[in-house]
Amino acid sequence: MIRVSHLTKRYGAHTAVDDVSFEVGAGEVVGFLGPNGAGKSTTLRILAGFLGASAGTVTVAGHDVAVDSIEARRCIGYMPEAVPLYPEMRVVEYLRFRAELKGVPGARRRAHVDDALGRAGVLDVANKTIGHLSKGYRQRVGLADALVARPPIVILDEPTAGLDPNQIRETRALVRELGREHTVVLSTHILSEVEACATRVLLLHKGKLVAEGATERIRAMRSPTAVDVTVHGDAGVAAEALRAVDGVASVDPVAAGGEDPRVKLRVKLGGPGVDGAEGRALATERCVAALVRVGIGVREVRAADGSLEDVFAALTGDTDDTSRADGDAASA
Amino acid sequence: MRSFWPIYKRELFAFFVTPLAWVLIGAFVVVQGMHFFVLVDHFSSSESIAGDETPLSAFFGNTVLHYMVLFVLIPPMTMRLFAEERRSGTIETLMTAPVSSSAVVLAKYAAALTTYCAMWSPTLLYLVILSRADPAGRLDTHAAASAYLGVLLVGAGYLAIGVCASALTRSQFLAMVCTALVLLVFFILGVGEFVTREGTTMHDVCAYVSVWSHMNDFASGLVDSRRLVFYATTIVLPLFVATRAVDSWRWG
Repeated sequence: MIRVSHLTKRYGAHTAVDDVSFEVGAGEVVGFLGPNGAGKSTTLRILAGFLGASAGTVTVAGHDVAVDSIEARRCIGYMPEAVPLYPEMRVVEYLRFRAELKGVPGARRRAHVDDALGRAGVLDVANKTIGHLSKGYRQRVGLADALVARPPIVILDEPTAGLDPNQIRETRALVRELGREHTVVLSTHILSEVEACATRVLLLHKGKLVAEGATERIRAMRSPTAVDVTVHGDAGVAAEALRAVDGVASVDPVAAGGEDPRVKLRVKLGGPGVDGAEGRALATERCVAALVRVGIGVREVRAADGSLEDVFAALTGDTDDTSRADGDAASA
Repeated sequence: MRSFWPIYKRELFAFFVTPLAWVLIGAFVVVQGMHFFVLVDHFSSSESIAGDETPLSAFFGNTVLHYMVLFVLIPPMTMRLFAEERRSGTIETLMTAPVSSSAVVLAKYAAALTTYCAMWSPTLLYLVILSRADPAGRLDTHAAASAYLGVLLVGAGYLAIGVCASALTRSQFLAMVCTALVLLVFFILGVGEFVTREGTTMHDVCAYVSVWSHMNDFASGLVDSRRLVFYATTIVLPLFVATRAVDSWRWG
Protein backbone atom coordinates (compact mmCIF):
# COMPACT_ATOMS: atom_id res chain seq x y z
CA MET A 1 0.00 0.00 0.00
CA ILE A 2 2.76 2.41 0.93
CA ARG A 3 6.23 2.24 -0.57
CA VAL A 4 8.87 4.68 0.61
CA SER A 5 12.33 4.64 -0.87
CA HIS A 6 15.33 6.71 0.17
CA LEU A 7 13.13 9.42 1.62
CA THR A 8 15.05 12.46 2.84
CA LYS A 9 13.67 15.71 4.21
CA ARG A 10 15.93 18.64 4.96
CA TYR A 11 15.00 21.91 6.63
CA GLY A 12 17.88 24.15 5.66
CA ALA A 13 20.97 22.52 7.14
CA HIS A 14 18.94 20.28 9.45
CA THR A 15 18.09 16.83 8.15
CA ALA A 16 14.82 15.72 9.73
CA VAL A 17 14.46 12.47 7.81
CA ASP A 18 17.56 10.80 6.44
CA ASP A 19 17.37 8.18 3.69
CA VAL A 20 14.45 6.18 5.05
CA SER A 21 13.06 3.25 3.07
CA PHE A 22 10.24 0.94 4.04
CA GLU A 23 7.08 -0.67 2.78
CA VAL A 24 3.69 -1.13 4.36
CA GLY A 25 1.48 -3.90 3.07
CA ALA A 26 -2.31 -3.91 2.89
CA GLY A 27 -4.00 -4.59 6.22
CA GLU A 28 -0.91 -3.99 8.32
CA VAL A 29 -0.90 -1.84 11.44
CA VAL A 30 2.51 -0.25 11.46
CA GLY A 31 3.80 1.81 14.35
CA PHE A 32 6.45 4.46 14.03
CA LEU A 33 8.39 4.51 17.24
CA GLY A 34 10.99 7.01 18.27
CA PRO A 35 11.78 9.73 20.76
CA ASN A 36 10.51 13.25 20.13
CA GLY A 37 12.27 14.83 17.19
CA ALA A 38 13.11 11.50 15.57
CA GLY A 39 11.36 12.49 12.34
CA LYS A 40 8.12 10.55 12.86
CA SER A 41 5.77 13.47 12.25
CA THR A 42 7.79 14.70 9.29
CA THR A 43 7.64 11.25 7.68
CA LEU A 44 3.90 10.98 8.24
CA ARG A 45 3.34 14.48 6.87
CA ILE A 46 5.18 13.53 3.72
CA LEU A 47 3.09 10.37 3.42
CA ALA A 48 -0.06 12.44 3.84
CA GLY A 49 1.05 14.88 1.15
CA PHE A 50 1.36 17.90 3.43
CA LEU A 51 5.13 18.21 3.01
CA GLY A 52 7.28 17.50 0.00
CA ALA A 53 10.33 15.30 0.20
CA SER A 54 13.81 16.72 -0.41
CA ALA A 55 14.81 13.45 -2.03
CA GLY A 56 13.38 9.99 -2.52
CA THR A 57 9.97 8.79 -3.59
CA VAL A 58 6.77 7.92 -1.76
CA THR A 59 4.08 5.84 -3.42
CA VAL A 60 0.67 5.50 -1.80
CA ALA A 61 -1.73 2.92 -3.24
CA GLY A 62 0.14 3.13 -6.52
CA HIS A 63 0.14 6.93 -6.71
CA ASP A 64 3.36 8.89 -6.36
CA VAL A 65 2.61 11.61 -3.79
CA ALA A 66 4.78 14.14 -5.64
CA VAL A 67 3.32 13.51 -9.12
CA ASP A 68 -0.21 12.32 -8.46
CA SER A 69 -0.74 14.09 -5.16
CA ILE A 70 -4.51 14.48 -5.22
CA GLU A 71 -5.15 10.83 -6.10
CA ALA A 72 -2.73 9.75 -3.38
CA ARG A 73 -4.45 11.99 -0.82
CA ARG A 74 -7.80 10.51 -1.81
CA CYS A 75 -6.60 7.16 -0.44
CA ILE A 76 -5.52 8.53 2.93
CA GLY A 77 -7.29 9.56 6.08
CA TYR A 78 -4.80 11.60 8.08
CA MET A 79 -4.99 12.86 11.64
CA PRO A 80 -2.28 15.43 12.42
CA GLU A 81 -0.53 15.44 15.76
CA ALA A 82 -2.19 18.57 17.13
CA VAL A 83 -5.64 17.56 15.77
CA PRO A 84 -6.44 21.00 14.38
CA LEU A 85 -10.19 21.63 13.99
CA TYR A 86 -12.40 24.61 13.21
CA PRO A 87 -13.64 25.71 16.64
CA GLU A 88 -16.69 27.56 15.33
CA MET A 89 -18.24 24.51 13.66
CA ARG A 90 -20.40 21.80 15.20
CA VAL A 91 -19.00 18.28 15.12
CA VAL A 92 -21.54 17.01 12.61
CA GLU A 93 -21.15 20.10 10.41
CA TYR A 94 -17.42 19.64 10.42
CA LEU A 95 -17.64 16.00 9.42
CA ARG A 96 -20.14 16.78 6.65
CA PHE A 97 -17.76 19.42 5.35
CA ARG A 98 -14.82 17.02 5.49
CA ALA A 99 -16.80 14.26 3.78
CA GLU A 100 -17.78 16.59 0.95
CA LEU A 101 -14.22 17.88 0.70
CA LYS A 102 -12.93 14.34 0.41
CA GLY A 103 -15.35 13.66 -2.42
CA VAL A 104 -17.93 11.47 -0.67
CA PRO A 105 -20.99 11.74 -2.94
CA GLY A 106 -23.99 13.54 -1.50
CA ALA A 107 -26.23 10.50 -1.34
CA ARG A 108 -23.81 8.55 0.82
CA ARG A 109 -22.51 11.45 2.90
CA ARG A 110 -24.99 11.12 5.74
CA ALA A 111 -24.28 7.41 6.16
CA HIS A 112 -20.52 8.03 6.11
CA VAL A 113 -20.77 10.79 8.70
CA ASP A 114 -23.03 8.77 11.01
CA ASP A 115 -20.73 5.79 10.71
CA ALA A 116 -17.63 7.85 11.50
CA LEU A 117 -19.37 9.49 14.46
CA GLY A 118 -20.25 6.07 15.83
CA ARG A 119 -16.88 4.45 15.30
CA ALA A 120 -14.96 7.31 16.88
CA GLY A 121 -17.43 7.46 19.77
CA VAL A 122 -18.53 11.07 19.32
CA LEU A 123 -22.23 10.51 18.68
CA ASP A 124 -23.15 12.11 22.00
CA VAL A 125 -21.39 15.38 21.10
CA ALA A 126 -22.40 15.44 17.42
CA ASN A 127 -24.30 18.72 17.84
CA LYS A 128 -21.80 20.47 20.08
CA THR A 129 -19.53 23.24 18.91
CA ILE A 130 -15.99 21.91 18.50
CA GLY A 131 -14.51 24.82 20.44
CA HIS A 132 -16.38 23.67 23.55
CA LEU A 133 -15.14 20.08 23.47
CA SER A 134 -12.54 18.57 25.78
CA LYS A 135 -9.18 17.42 24.46
CA GLY A 136 -10.26 13.79 24.44
CA TYR A 137 -13.34 14.49 22.35
CA ARG A 138 -11.42 16.74 19.97
CA GLN A 139 -8.96 13.91 19.46
CA ARG A 140 -11.82 11.57 18.60
CA VAL A 141 -13.38 14.10 16.23
CA GLY A 142 -10.02 14.14 14.45
CA LEU A 143 -10.20 10.37 14.31
CA ALA A 144 -13.73 10.51 12.89
CA ASP A 145 -12.46 12.93 10.25
CA ALA A 146 -9.71 10.49 9.28
CA LEU A 147 -12.31 7.73 8.86
CA VAL A 148 -15.17 9.64 7.28
CA ALA A 149 -14.29 8.99 3.64
CA ARG A 150 -13.50 5.32 4.44
CA PRO A 151 -10.00 5.55 3.01
CA PRO A 152 -7.94 2.39 2.53
CA ILE A 153 -5.07 3.95 4.48
CA VAL A 154 -5.36 5.70 7.84
CA ILE A 155 -2.43 7.70 9.17
CA LEU A 156 -2.56 8.76 12.82
CA ASP A 157 0.11 10.98 14.31
CA GLU A 158 0.30 10.32 18.05
CA PRO A 159 -3.34 9.31 18.39
CA THR A 160 -3.23 8.98 22.18
CA ALA A 161 -1.27 12.12 23.08
CA GLY A 162 -3.02 14.07 25.81
CA LEU A 163 -5.70 11.49 26.57
CA ASP A 164 -6.54 10.02 29.96
CA PRO A 165 -5.86 6.30 30.61
CA ASN A 166 -9.42 5.25 29.79
CA GLN A 167 -9.43 7.12 26.52
CA ILE A 168 -6.01 5.71 25.67
CA ARG A 169 -7.35 2.19 26.13
CA GLU A 170 -10.38 2.96 23.96
CA THR A 171 -8.27 4.54 21.26
CA ARG A 172 -5.90 1.58 21.17
CA ALA A 173 -8.83 -0.79 20.88
CA LEU A 174 -10.21 1.31 18.04
CA VAL A 175 -6.87 1.29 16.22
CA ARG A 176 -6.70 -2.50 16.51
CA GLU A 177 -10.21 -2.69 15.11
CA LEU A 178 -9.31 -0.33 12.26
CA GLY A 179 -6.53 -2.71 11.33
CA ARG A 180 -9.11 -5.22 10.16
CA GLU A 181 -10.38 -3.00 7.34
CA HIS A 182 -7.69 -0.39 6.84
CA THR A 183 -3.98 -0.17 6.52
CA VAL A 184 -2.98 1.84 9.56
CA VAL A 185 0.20 3.83 10.14
CA LEU A 186 0.58 5.47 13.52
CA SER A 187 3.35 7.14 15.43
CA THR A 188 4.15 7.28 19.09
CA HIS A 189 7.03 7.74 21.46
CA ILE A 190 5.57 5.27 23.94
CA LEU A 191 6.87 1.74 23.63
CA SER A 192 3.88 0.04 25.17
CA GLU A 193 1.60 1.78 22.69
CA VAL A 194 3.01 0.09 19.59
CA GLU A 195 3.03 -3.15 21.51
CA ALA A 196 -0.67 -2.71 22.16
CA CYS A 197 -1.68 -1.70 18.64
CA ALA A 198 0.81 -2.48 15.94
CA THR A 199 1.72 -5.67 14.14
CA ARG A 200 4.98 -4.22 12.91
CA VAL A 201 7.25 -1.54 14.27
CA LEU A 202 9.57 0.92 12.54
CA LEU A 203 12.10 2.54 14.83
CA LEU A 204 13.25 6.00 13.93
CA HIS A 205 16.12 7.73 15.63
CA LYS A 206 17.54 11.10 14.60
CA GLY A 207 15.84 10.84 11.23
CA LYS A 208 17.20 7.41 10.44
CA LEU A 209 15.34 4.13 10.37
CA VAL A 210 17.36 2.13 12.88
CA ALA A 211 15.26 -1.00 12.90
CA GLU A 212 12.10 -2.62 11.76
CA GLY A 213 10.49 -5.83 12.76
CA ALA A 214 7.43 -7.58 14.05
CA THR A 215 6.12 -6.27 17.36
CA GLU A 216 7.10 -9.52 19.13
CA ARG A 217 10.75 -8.90 18.34
CA ILE A 218 10.62 -5.44 19.80
CA ARG A 219 8.81 -6.76 22.85
CA ALA A 220 11.56 -9.36 23.36
CA MET A 221 14.22 -6.67 23.20
CA ARG A 222 12.36 -4.69 25.73
CA SER A 223 12.52 -7.43 28.36
CA PRO A 224 14.70 -5.89 31.02
CA THR A 225 18.40 -6.62 31.24
CA ALA A 226 18.57 -5.41 34.84
CA VAL A 227 16.63 -5.80 38.07
CA ASP A 228 16.35 -3.42 41.00
CA VAL A 229 16.66 -5.28 44.30
CA THR A 230 15.67 -3.58 47.53
CA VAL A 231 17.31 -5.28 50.52
CA HIS A 232 17.16 -4.86 54.26
CA GLY A 233 20.56 -5.24 55.88
CA ASP A 234 24.21 -4.59 55.10
CA ALA A 235 24.56 -3.30 51.58
CA GLY A 236 28.18 -4.43 51.31
CA VAL A 237 27.35 -8.01 52.19
CA ALA A 238 24.41 -8.01 49.80
CA ALA A 239 26.48 -6.66 46.92
CA GLU A 240 29.24 -9.16 47.65
CA ALA A 241 26.77 -12.03 47.56
CA LEU A 242 25.15 -10.80 44.34
CA ARG A 243 28.45 -10.37 42.52
CA ALA A 244 29.24 -14.03 43.16
CA VAL A 245 26.03 -15.14 41.40
CA ASP A 246 26.38 -16.66 37.96
CA GLY A 247 24.89 -14.29 35.39
CA VAL A 248 25.34 -11.01 37.24
CA ALA A 249 27.40 -8.51 35.30
CA SER A 250 27.51 -5.65 37.78
CA VAL A 251 25.94 -4.40 41.00
CA ASP A 252 25.55 -0.71 41.81
CA PRO A 253 23.69 0.95 44.66
CA VAL A 254 20.86 3.08 43.26
CA ALA A 255 19.60 4.84 46.35
CA ALA A 256 20.86 4.64 49.90
CA GLY A 257 18.16 5.61 52.30
CA GLY A 258 20.16 7.47 55.00
CA GLU A 259 18.38 6.54 58.26
CA ASP A 260 16.41 3.98 56.30
CA PRO A 261 18.11 0.55 56.58
CA ARG A 262 16.79 -0.42 53.14
CA VAL A 263 19.18 -0.26 50.19
CA LYS A 264 18.29 -0.43 46.55
CA LEU A 265 20.75 -2.12 44.23
CA ARG A 266 20.72 -2.10 40.44
CA VAL A 267 21.79 -5.56 39.31
CA LYS A 268 22.73 -5.79 35.63
CA LEU A 269 22.25 -9.28 34.25
CA GLY A 270 24.45 -10.65 31.52
CA GLY A 271 27.32 -12.88 30.71
CA PRO A 272 27.55 -16.28 29.05
CA GLY A 273 24.38 -18.32 29.14
CA VAL A 274 22.23 -15.36 30.21
CA ASP A 275 20.44 -14.13 27.14
CA GLY A 276 16.77 -13.99 26.37
CA ALA A 277 13.99 -13.44 28.83
CA GLU A 278 14.16 -16.97 30.30
CA GLY A 279 17.89 -16.81 31.04
CA ARG A 280 17.48 -13.50 32.80
CA ALA A 281 14.55 -14.80 34.83
CA LEU A 282 16.67 -17.74 36.06
CA ALA A 283 19.52 -15.39 36.98
CA THR A 284 17.05 -13.30 38.98
CA GLU A 285 15.98 -16.39 40.90
CA ARG A 286 19.63 -17.20 41.69
CA CYS A 287 20.16 -13.64 42.95
CA VAL A 288 17.29 -13.90 45.42
CA ALA A 289 18.48 -17.31 46.61
CA ALA A 290 22.00 -15.98 47.18
CA LEU A 291 20.71 -13.02 49.20
CA VAL A 292 18.54 -15.24 51.38
CA ARG A 293 21.49 -17.60 51.95
CA VAL A 294 23.64 -14.82 53.46
CA GLY A 295 20.78 -13.63 55.67
CA ILE A 296 19.82 -10.45 53.83
CA GLY A 297 16.13 -9.58 53.82
CA VAL A 298 14.77 -9.08 50.30
CA ARG A 299 12.06 -6.44 50.32
CA GLU A 300 11.43 -6.01 46.62
CA VAL A 301 12.67 -7.31 43.30
CA ARG A 302 11.55 -5.30 40.35
CA ALA A 303 12.52 -5.51 36.72
CA ALA A 304 14.15 -2.24 35.70
CA ASP A 305 11.93 -0.83 32.92
CA GLY A 306 13.28 -1.49 29.49
CA SER A 307 13.25 2.03 28.18
CA LEU A 308 13.16 3.05 24.56
CA GLU A 309 16.82 3.96 24.88
CA ASP A 310 17.62 0.40 25.99
CA VAL A 311 15.86 -0.94 22.91
CA PHE A 312 17.76 1.48 20.71
CA ALA A 313 21.01 0.47 22.38
CA ALA A 314 20.16 -3.18 21.92
CA LEU A 315 19.22 -2.63 18.30
CA THR A 316 22.06 -0.45 17.20
CA GLY A 317 24.49 -2.78 18.91
CA ASP A 318 22.90 -5.78 17.22
CA THR A 319 24.23 -7.29 14.05
CA ASP A 320 21.34 -9.61 13.30
CA ASP A 321 18.73 -9.25 10.58
CA THR A 322 16.85 -6.40 12.23
CA SER A 323 19.84 -4.11 11.97
CA ARG A 324 19.92 -1.75 9.04
CA ALA A 325 23.70 -1.35 9.14
CA ASP A 326 24.18 -3.20 5.86
CA GLY A 327 21.49 -1.10 4.20
CA ASP A 328 23.18 2.10 5.32
CA ALA A 329 26.51 0.91 4.03
CA ALA A 330 25.01 0.11 0.65
CA SER A 331 23.50 3.57 0.24
CA ALA A 332 26.56 5.44 1.51
CA MET B 1 -12.06 21.99 -8.68
CA ARG B 2 -14.64 19.70 -7.08
CA SER B 3 -13.33 20.83 -3.73
CA PHE B 4 -14.25 24.46 -4.50
CA TRP B 5 -17.83 24.23 -3.21
CA PRO B 6 -17.22 22.73 0.24
CA ILE B 7 -14.42 25.19 0.98
CA TYR B 8 -16.47 28.11 -0.34
CA LYS B 9 -19.42 27.13 1.83
CA ARG B 10 -17.23 26.65 4.90
CA GLU B 11 -15.57 30.03 4.44
CA LEU B 12 -18.93 31.76 4.09
CA PHE B 13 -20.06 29.91 7.20
CA ALA B 14 -16.94 31.11 9.02
CA PHE B 15 -17.64 34.68 7.90
CA PHE B 16 -21.25 34.73 8.98
CA VAL B 17 -21.22 32.52 12.06
CA THR B 18 -18.62 34.73 13.69
CA PRO B 19 -19.41 38.38 14.39
CA LEU B 20 -16.79 39.53 11.88
CA ALA B 21 -19.01 39.80 8.79
CA TRP B 22 -21.87 41.35 10.75
CA VAL B 23 -19.67 43.96 12.36
CA LEU B 24 -18.14 44.87 9.00
CA ILE B 25 -21.49 44.98 7.21
CA GLY B 26 -23.04 46.95 10.07
CA ALA B 27 -20.25 49.52 10.07
CA PHE B 28 -20.39 49.75 6.31
CA VAL B 29 -24.15 50.29 6.16
CA VAL B 30 -24.01 52.98 8.86
CA VAL B 31 -21.24 54.90 7.12
CA GLN B 32 -22.79 54.59 3.66
CA GLY B 33 -26.20 55.55 5.02
CA MET B 34 -24.82 58.75 6.50
CA HIS B 35 -22.95 59.43 3.28
CA PHE B 36 -26.11 58.95 1.25
CA PHE B 37 -28.20 61.08 3.57
CA VAL B 38 -25.74 63.98 3.40
CA LEU B 39 -25.64 63.75 -0.39
CA VAL B 40 -29.39 63.68 -0.88
CA ASP B 41 -29.80 66.50 1.60
CA HIS B 42 -27.21 68.52 -0.30
CA PHE B 43 -28.82 67.91 -3.70
CA SER B 44 -32.33 68.69 -2.52
CA SER B 45 -31.37 71.95 -0.85
CA SER B 46 -28.87 73.48 -3.24
CA GLU B 47 -30.29 75.44 -6.11
CA SER B 48 -27.45 75.48 -8.59
CA ILE B 49 -26.03 72.06 -9.29
CA ALA B 50 -23.52 71.40 -12.03
CA GLY B 51 -25.40 69.93 -14.99
CA ASP B 52 -24.25 66.33 -15.00
CA GLU B 53 -23.92 65.84 -11.24
CA THR B 54 -26.49 63.47 -9.83
CA PRO B 55 -26.73 61.94 -6.35
CA LEU B 56 -25.82 58.65 -7.98
CA SER B 57 -22.56 59.86 -9.54
CA ALA B 58 -21.69 61.74 -6.37
CA PHE B 59 -22.30 58.68 -4.23
CA PHE B 60 -19.93 56.42 -6.15
CA GLY B 61 -17.48 58.84 -7.71
CA ASN B 62 -15.89 62.10 -6.77
CA THR B 63 -15.67 61.08 -3.17
CA VAL B 64 -12.91 59.83 -0.97
CA LEU B 65 -15.47 58.26 1.35
CA HIS B 66 -16.02 55.32 -0.91
CA TYR B 67 -12.31 54.62 -0.87
CA MET B 68 -11.75 55.12 2.86
CA VAL B 69 -14.49 52.63 3.68
CA LEU B 70 -12.85 49.98 1.52
CA PHE B 71 -9.46 50.81 2.99
CA VAL B 72 -10.77 50.11 6.47
CA LEU B 73 -12.99 47.12 5.69
CA ILE B 74 -11.11 45.03 3.11
CA PRO B 75 -7.98 44.15 5.16
CA PRO B 76 -9.98 42.64 8.07
CA MET B 77 -12.11 40.68 5.60
CA THR B 78 -9.17 38.89 4.03
CA MET B 79 -6.56 38.79 6.77
CA ARG B 80 -7.75 35.58 8.38
CA LEU B 81 -8.36 33.52 5.22
CA PHE B 82 -5.01 31.73 5.19
CA ALA B 83 -3.08 33.21 8.11
CA GLU B 84 -5.57 31.89 10.67
CA GLU B 85 -5.53 28.37 9.23
CA ARG B 86 -1.76 28.32 9.24
CA ARG B 87 -1.52 29.63 12.78
CA SER B 88 -4.10 27.19 14.16
CA GLY B 89 -2.79 24.27 12.08
CA THR B 90 -6.08 23.51 10.32
CA ILE B 91 -4.25 24.11 7.05
CA GLU B 92 -2.73 20.67 7.62
CA THR B 93 -6.09 18.92 7.53
CA LEU B 94 -7.22 21.12 4.65
CA MET B 95 -4.20 20.49 2.44
CA THR B 96 -4.07 16.75 3.15
CA ALA B 97 -7.59 16.40 1.78
CA PRO B 98 -7.72 15.83 -1.98
CA VAL B 99 -7.85 19.53 -2.89
CA SER B 100 -5.85 21.56 -5.39
CA SER B 101 -4.11 24.76 -4.37
CA SER B 102 -6.00 26.78 -6.95
CA ALA B 103 -9.36 25.48 -5.68
CA VAL B 104 -8.44 26.48 -2.12
CA VAL B 105 -7.36 29.98 -3.16
CA LEU B 106 -10.36 30.56 -5.44
CA ALA B 107 -12.86 29.25 -2.89
CA LYS B 108 -11.55 31.49 -0.14
CA TYR B 109 -11.42 34.44 -2.51
CA ALA B 110 -14.95 33.78 -3.76
CA ALA B 111 -16.23 33.63 -0.18
CA ALA B 112 -14.64 37.01 0.61
CA LEU B 113 -16.06 38.47 -2.60
CA THR B 114 -19.52 37.14 -1.74
CA THR B 115 -19.32 38.77 1.67
CA TYR B 116 -18.24 41.98 -0.04
CA CYS B 117 -21.28 41.83 -2.33
CA ALA B 118 -23.52 41.15 0.66
CA MET B 119 -22.01 44.25 2.25
CA TRP B 120 -23.00 46.38 -0.73
CA SER B 121 -26.42 44.88 -1.32
CA PRO B 122 -28.28 47.15 1.15
CA THR B 123 -27.15 50.16 -0.91
CA LEU B 124 -29.42 48.96 -3.74
CA LEU B 125 -32.21 50.41 -1.62
CA TYR B 126 -30.73 53.85 -2.23
CA LEU B 127 -31.49 53.43 -5.92
CA VAL B 128 -35.09 52.68 -5.08
CA ILE B 129 -35.20 55.77 -2.86
CA LEU B 130 -33.66 57.94 -5.59
CA SER B 131 -36.12 56.77 -8.26
CA ARG B 132 -39.02 57.35 -5.84
CA ALA B 133 -37.72 60.82 -5.10
CA ASP B 134 -37.62 61.78 -8.73
CA PRO B 135 -40.98 63.22 -9.78
CA ALA B 136 -40.92 61.22 -13.01
CA GLY B 137 -39.56 58.10 -11.30
CA ARG B 138 -36.51 58.04 -13.56
CA LEU B 139 -33.23 56.50 -12.72
CA ASP B 140 -30.21 56.19 -14.98
CA THR B 141 -30.04 52.41 -14.77
CA HIS B 142 -27.04 52.17 -17.07
CA ALA B 143 -25.02 54.55 -14.93
CA ALA B 144 -26.12 52.61 -11.84
CA ALA B 145 -25.06 49.33 -13.41
CA SER B 146 -21.67 50.67 -14.41
CA ALA B 147 -21.23 52.20 -10.95
CA TYR B 148 -21.86 48.82 -9.34
CA LEU B 149 -19.53 47.19 -11.86
CA GLY B 150 -16.88 49.65 -10.66
CA VAL B 151 -17.62 48.82 -7.04
CA LEU B 152 -17.35 45.13 -7.81
CA LEU B 153 -14.09 45.49 -9.71
CA VAL B 154 -12.39 47.71 -7.13
CA GLY B 155 -13.45 45.37 -4.34
CA ALA B 156 -12.47 42.26 -6.29
CA GLY B 157 -9.02 43.68 -6.95
CA TYR B 158 -8.45 44.75 -3.37
CA LEU B 159 -9.74 41.47 -1.96
CA ALA B 160 -7.35 39.57 -4.23
CA ILE B 161 -4.49 41.63 -2.82
CA GLY B 162 -5.73 40.80 0.68
CA VAL B 163 -5.95 37.06 -0.10
CA CYS B 164 -2.39 37.17 -1.40
CA ALA B 165 -1.11 38.94 1.72
CA SER B 166 -2.87 36.41 3.93
CA ALA B 167 -1.26 33.53 2.05
CA LEU B 168 2.19 35.05 2.41
CA THR B 169 2.27 35.35 6.20
CA ARG B 170 1.29 33.33 9.26
CA SER B 171 0.28 36.45 11.14
CA GLN B 172 -3.19 37.85 10.63
CA PHE B 173 -2.04 41.21 11.87
CA LEU B 174 0.81 41.32 9.38
CA ALA B 175 -1.56 40.27 6.60
CA MET B 176 -3.89 43.13 7.54
CA VAL B 177 -1.08 45.69 7.68
CA CYS B 178 0.40 44.53 4.35
CA THR B 179 -2.97 44.69 2.61
CA ALA B 180 -3.65 48.13 4.04
CA LEU B 181 -0.20 49.30 2.93
CA VAL B 182 -0.72 48.18 -0.66
CA LEU B 183 -4.14 49.86 -0.76
CA LEU B 184 -2.57 52.98 0.72
CA VAL B 185 0.07 52.99 -2.00
CA PHE B 186 -2.68 52.80 -4.62
CA PHE B 187 -4.45 55.66 -2.91
CA ILE B 188 -1.34 57.85 -2.63
CA LEU B 189 -0.57 57.25 -6.29
CA GLY B 190 -4.16 58.24 -7.00
CA VAL B 191 -3.68 61.50 -5.10
CA GLY B 192 -0.55 61.96 -7.18
CA GLU B 193 -2.78 62.47 -10.19
CA PHE B 194 -3.69 65.89 -8.81
CA VAL B 195 -0.25 66.99 -7.64
CA THR B 196 1.96 65.85 -10.52
CA ARG B 197 2.34 67.96 -13.65
CA GLU B 198 0.25 66.87 -16.57
CA GLY B 199 2.21 65.20 -19.36
CA THR B 200 4.82 63.57 -17.13
CA THR B 201 5.13 59.79 -16.89
CA MET B 202 4.41 59.98 -13.18
CA HIS B 203 1.14 61.72 -13.87
CA ASP B 204 0.16 59.02 -16.36
CA VAL B 205 1.01 56.27 -13.92
CA CYS B 206 -0.92 58.01 -11.13
CA ALA B 207 -3.94 58.60 -13.34
CA TYR B 208 -3.85 54.97 -14.44
CA VAL B 209 -4.04 53.53 -10.92
CA SER B 210 -6.20 56.26 -9.37
CA VAL B 211 -9.28 54.69 -7.85
CA TRP B 212 -10.70 58.18 -7.70
CA SER B 213 -10.82 58.67 -11.46
CA HIS B 214 -11.81 55.03 -11.98
CA MET B 215 -14.87 55.46 -9.83
CA ASN B 216 -15.66 58.82 -11.42
CA ASP B 217 -15.77 57.15 -14.80
CA PHE B 218 -17.80 54.19 -13.62
CA ALA B 219 -20.22 56.39 -11.68
CA SER B 220 -20.97 58.50 -14.73
CA GLY B 221 -21.64 55.42 -16.82
CA LEU B 222 -18.27 55.15 -18.53
CA VAL B 223 -16.85 51.64 -18.82
CA ASP B 224 -13.30 52.08 -20.03
CA SER B 225 -11.41 48.96 -21.19
CA ARG B 226 -8.20 50.29 -19.58
CA ARG B 227 -9.97 50.11 -16.21
CA LEU B 228 -11.13 46.59 -16.94
CA VAL B 229 -7.58 45.54 -17.81
CA PHE B 230 -6.21 47.22 -14.70
CA TYR B 231 -8.64 45.46 -12.37
CA ALA B 232 -8.30 42.14 -14.18
CA THR B 233 -4.58 42.45 -13.43
CA THR B 234 -5.11 43.31 -9.76
CA ILE B 235 -7.36 40.25 -9.47
CA VAL B 236 -5.39 37.66 -11.42
CA LEU B 237 -1.85 38.52 -10.38
CA PRO B 238 -2.32 38.38 -6.57
CA LEU B 239 -4.42 35.22 -6.84
CA PHE B 240 -1.70 33.60 -8.94
CA VAL B 241 0.95 34.57 -6.38
CA ALA B 242 -1.31 33.24 -3.60
CA THR B 243 -1.68 29.89 -5.39
CA ARG B 244 2.07 29.60 -5.78
CA ALA B 245 2.49 30.51 -2.11
CA VAL B 246 0.09 27.73 -1.11
CA ASP B 247 2.12 25.30 -3.23
CA SER B 248 5.35 26.51 -1.66
CA TRP B 249 4.30 25.67 1.93
CA ARG B 250 4.94 22.05 1.06
CA TRP B 251 8.62 22.86 0.74
CA GLY B 252 8.93 25.01 3.84
